[in-house]
Amino acid sequence: MFSLLKKVVPILVTGLLIFSLFACSPATTAEEGIVVVIPEDPPSFNPAIMDAGYDSLVMELVMLGLADIDASGNPFPELAAELPTAENGGVVIDEENGTMDVTWNLRTDVKWSDGTPVTSDDVLFTYNAIIDPAYGTWIPGIDYIENVEQVDADTVIVHYNAIFPGYITQFGGELIVIWPAHYCDATQGFSAWDCARTPLSNGPYLLEEWVNGDHMTFVRNPDFYEKGKPEIAKITVQIVPDEAVRKTMLINGDADLDMWTTEPVINDLKDNPNVVVSLSPNNRWVFRLFFNLAAKGTTDPVATPHPILSNVDVRRAIRMAINVDTISKEFFFGYAKPAWTEFFREPYVCTNIARPAFDPEGAKAMLEAAGWKDTDGDGIRECQGCGTAEDGYKMEMEFITYGEYGEALELSQQLIAEMLGNIGIKMNISVVEGSVMWAASEDGGIEQNGNFDIDIYDDGYAGIDPTDFIYGYYHSASATPDYGTNYGRWMNAEFDTLLDESYTLDTAARQENFCKMAEILEAELPEALLFTAVNADAHSVRLQNVQSSTNDLVTWNAKDWTLAK
Amino acid sequence: MLNYIVRCLFQTVVLLFILSILLFALVNLAPGGPLAGQGRSRQIRPEKVQILKRQFGLDKPLPTQYLIWLVGNDWMMVDVDGDGANESYGTRLGILRGDFGFSYRTRQPVLEEIGQRLPNTALLMTVTLLVGIIVAIPIGIISAIRQYSTFDITVTTLSFAGQAIPEFFLGLLLILIFYAWLKNPITGEPLLPSGGMTSLGVSGLALGDRLVHLILPVVTGALGWIAWYSRFLRSSMLEVVNKDYLRTARAKGLPNWMVLYKHALRNALIPLITMLAIDLPTIFGGAVFVETLFSWPGMGRLYFTAAVDRDYPVLLAILIMGAAAIILSSLLADILYSFLDPRVRYD
Amino acid sequence: MTHTADDFPTIQQGQSAALAEAAAIGKSVWRRFRRHPGAIAGSIIFVILLLLVVLAPLSPYDPEVSNMAVRYQPPSWQHPMGTDALGRDLLTRVLYGGRISVLVGLLVVGISISIGVPIGALAGYYGGRLDAILMRITDTFLTLPTLLVLILLSAILREVEFPLFERNSVLTIGLVIGILSWMIFARLVRASFLTLREMDFVAATRALGGSDLRIILRHILPNSIGPIIVEATLEMGYAIIEESGLSFLGFGIQPPTPSWGNLLSNAQENFTKYPWQAIFPGLMIFLAIISVNYIGDGLRDAFDPYKVIEKAGEY
Repeated sequence: MFSLLKKVVPILVTGLLIFSLFACSPATTAEEGIVVVIPEDPPSFNPAIMDAGYDSLVMELVMLGLADIDASGNPFPELAAELPTAENGGVVIDEENGTMDVTWNLRTDVKWSDGTPVTSDDVLFTYNAIIDPAYGTWIPGIDYIENVEQVDADTVIVHYNAIFPGYITQFGGELIVIWPAHYCDATQGFSAWDCARTPLSNGPYLLEEWVNGDHMTFVRNPDFYEKGKPEIAKITVQIVPDEAVRKTMLINGDADLDMWTTEPVINDLKDNPNVVVSLSPNNRWVFRLFFNLAAKGTTDPVATPHPILSNVDVRRAIRMAINVDTISKEFFFGYAKPAWTEFFREPYVCTNIARPAFDPEGAKAMLEAAGWKDTDGDGIRECQGCGTAEDGYKMEMEFITYGEYGEALELSQQLIAEMLGNIGIKMNISVVEGSVMWAASEDGGIEQNGNFDIDIYDDGYAGIDPTDFIYGYYHSASATPDYGTNYGRWMNAEFDTLLDESYTLDTAARQENFCKMAEILEAELPEALLFTAVNADAHSVRLQNVQSSTNDLVTWNAKDWTLAK
Repeated sequence: MLNYIVRCLFQTVVLLFILSILLFALVNLAPGGPLAGQGRSRQIRPEKVQILKRQFGLDKPLPTQYLIWLVGNDWMMVDVDGDGANESYGTRLGILRGDFGFSYRTRQPVLEEIGQRLPNTALLMTVTLLVGIIVAIPIGIISAIRQYSTFDITVTTLSFAGQAIPEFFLGLLLILIFYAWLKNPITGEPLLPSGGMTSLGVSGLALGDRLVHLILPVVTGALGWIAWYSRFLRSSMLEVVNKDYLRTARAKGLPNWMVLYKHALRNALIPLITMLAIDLPTIFGGAVFVETLFSWPGMGRLYFTAAVDRDYPVLLAILIMGAAAIILSSLLADILYSFLDPRVRYD
Repeated sequence: MTHTADDFPTIQQGQSAALAEAAAIGKSVWRRFRRHPGAIAGSIIFVILLLLVVLAPLSPYDPEVSNMAVRYQPPSWQHPMGTDALGRDLLTRVLYGGRISVLVGLLVVGISISIGVPIGALAGYYGGRLDAILMRITDTFLTLPTLLVLILLSAILREVEFPLFERNSVLTIGLVIGILSWMIFARLVRASFLTLREMDFVAATRALGGSDLRIILRHILPNSIGPIIVEATLEMGYAIIEESGLSFLGFGIQPPTPSWGNLLSNAQENFTKYPWQAIFPGLMIFLAIISVNYIGDGLRDAFDPYKVIEKAGEY
């Protein structure tokens, strides 16, 4: 027996070794397609549920909405034959009642990959699934829709009960697509249906395979309505959690596209001849200081105003003491751009606000004049006739941010705390989890409960319409806890009126309102905007036509990508 | 004996029940919740909060939620569409019938998520434990036999060192040395990969590739085991090696190696096996540090992500399975001990 | 050493004899400890570490003030351990981090002993129903998957609004680790009590009218001190590792307060470019743990000479 074993084992071992050599063959060769690397699996193909970013990335490859937005902020039609506007009669406004109707004419040449044509049935199906009280979800503008009327197989009319400027991306953009009525299971519901894991495609690519935790394979859709596109036959999305490995893959040519490339990596790659970093022409995410105008732990700025931050001069002094250029240079490798007003993105750019100066001495003088002096020489100011607190109240506050962004934000927070320390304000730093920071007040959410003095984090609006975003952060109606995100509880009637009037399609009027609103924000400084982070996607030199966009994920124009010969 | 096992199983059930209540309360008490800032949206609209609460079942009082988690709600009417009236039966079966709910993050059944990760963790930890044991046993034996020799003293010192290095630090060091510094002389690539289960684009069995990817995580995890088990075996052998019955065996003329192998080792292994049984749950619970460092898609990382996202169903499932594994493995250890050591009897 | 009531006609004599005995035991423990080479080396290293962290404030650098001009410097004369991402001197931060680790360690040991010893004593002394209940509680805690629950607990307690806990992550972490590590003390003390309560001197004291509390505190407990001290030493090392692990994952001590764990975590980002940022804190953890383990091993041998003699094969 033993002697038999002695003969068999070496053969087995050799066989195993040879087998493993053959089993180690890589899957894609250069001619077949490109490799996109992302750090984790998308939760599904339906970004309206989770909005993780990775879901939008893969969704854009396989499905279409009625319209979408390009990198410069211009909308373009996808499933729609043309964009409905007031000029072409697509949008009819009833000024008297304050309602509007948007007519969408669908293309007639788009089919699902099983041959079924895309019709208005699918649009109605999607709408009904979204508003389903059991399994639907909430998306911006859904409350303004009275109903969706199916005129014929290629026409729907969306009846709004208000003027909603964001109508263009109501059923499009980076979050919403049109789902197939004949394929998705309505009983499972919009939030959980299986067709969000095994989608039916009407876009440039088909999902061929999804090995969870490892990779997803997409192949060209032969029946895509744009003939001759997409040019690239195959896209493999690899899951690579480690950033350093993704960078190495780009450098070595093993990966063609890295999504959401961070500043340190951009800095490492900028001189590499094999890699191009595509920067988006606009930035979305603005890092800002949130001031709690109510005392910490309360939410009523009138009954219990914040002892330190109620005075606008204090807020202005704080902003003056922060050197945004240093932060940008040191922690964001120069890729962070200073921002000081909410209206800095196309198409609504307000130039009437001057960039605030970095002036620590001026800040100190301002604090002195406001009644905050350091009388006991410990470097921290106390109230001496400040008006918002009792004499002797120390200028010490808690400074919170969230940990998930990464080192750049944490370091910035520490540096800002130091800069404020230099003008006599002591900031105690806390880093909390995002899920605690933004939770509802009954779940102990820090923001909604007002359990903060100053916060710093990034936020910005998606798409081209700032009204909902501004409403959420600055309107008085949003100042009630859990009714919005006006965490600082800032209320200004004039601002409210201007904002309410901005719900119109008259872009000139909106622009005027926005710039007036910008002035009010600059005068009262409920938030101190600091800088924006860049949106960048690094790609190999051979992959062409990639354009990073802050309005969508980088795959928004995947159908136009080509490979250099 | 059977009596004992039955009694133990009964106590296990009671213990698990108490634990489930404890863990359920703990998980839900954590501030913040799954409704906060999902994905990239910082703002969570109140309309969306209401819908999500209903879909996640968080709109009910905590004891009701526990009950539903335990036994499901398909036997009672629930309000699915939020109009305030209970109009249809629920769909959940409860964990007692094998339904652990769905993940808040992906809306996929929790068991499916765990099922995707469990084999990866099991692979990693099994190999780690095996390597640990296979290396530790000979070291322990030799240390015991040649007590106070240079070998013994070196090994003891190294064991102390091995137990003193934190896993995460060791992992970082190994990555530094084998990925960043040392290069493969043939290809010029890093000598060993810094993470992942396989090289990119490789699927299927790919034994060679998988082995290479296992090396660093296994070494990181196994070092602590080796240090511990070798010392344990050493002291266990020492207790046995000088006992009278061995002297008798030697006096009877048995060669020393036979004495050691047939008598000493067998008896010394008994406590080792029972300790091993107690350590088995780590195969399940996963090594959070090793998986995080080496980007290993396992249970530890799943737990970590779920903890950050407050994905309650996934958290609870992993916790309760982990606790069950611990309880059952200590029961297994007791049974093994009584089998292997005839002096030990339970009644 | 068993005595009967006849040996000591008065209680005072009994007490002074007990004290003398304790002193004698203490001396022989110390003598045996001194002969253990590892323990001596461990003690020296540990004392040096303690001195260093105590003297941390002597450093000319402030651990929390940045200096943007000298970011990411490798080790040099001005900065023996280099600087970190904000230009802070790493040596200073490591030493301050050591204070945190030692504090957390002491806290954990304190809490574990305060919970575990009474539970074990009561269970071991009274036995019966009380023992069964207390051991059930101990078992329940033992079956919790430790690291997983630690992560949960620290996430919870980080945000809790207790006046003491707010922004005092040292207290929070110490408490969290402590309430999950008392079980071993309970078991040790219980085992010790189970044996000791049967002894003659206990019966004698009871006969002389000693109350239960007196017996527990003044007679049995001092005799169980050995294993408690040994375990306490090892627990210190365990606490340091757990705290580092938690901070490494992001759940423990929060920046900018340095702790060895979060220094390691911060070092991860640019690890291959600036490895010294991770090597030094890791080295400190290593030295602390290994010295503590050697001390514990020496104490164990010192308190239980029979084990040592057995180990030497003479028994």
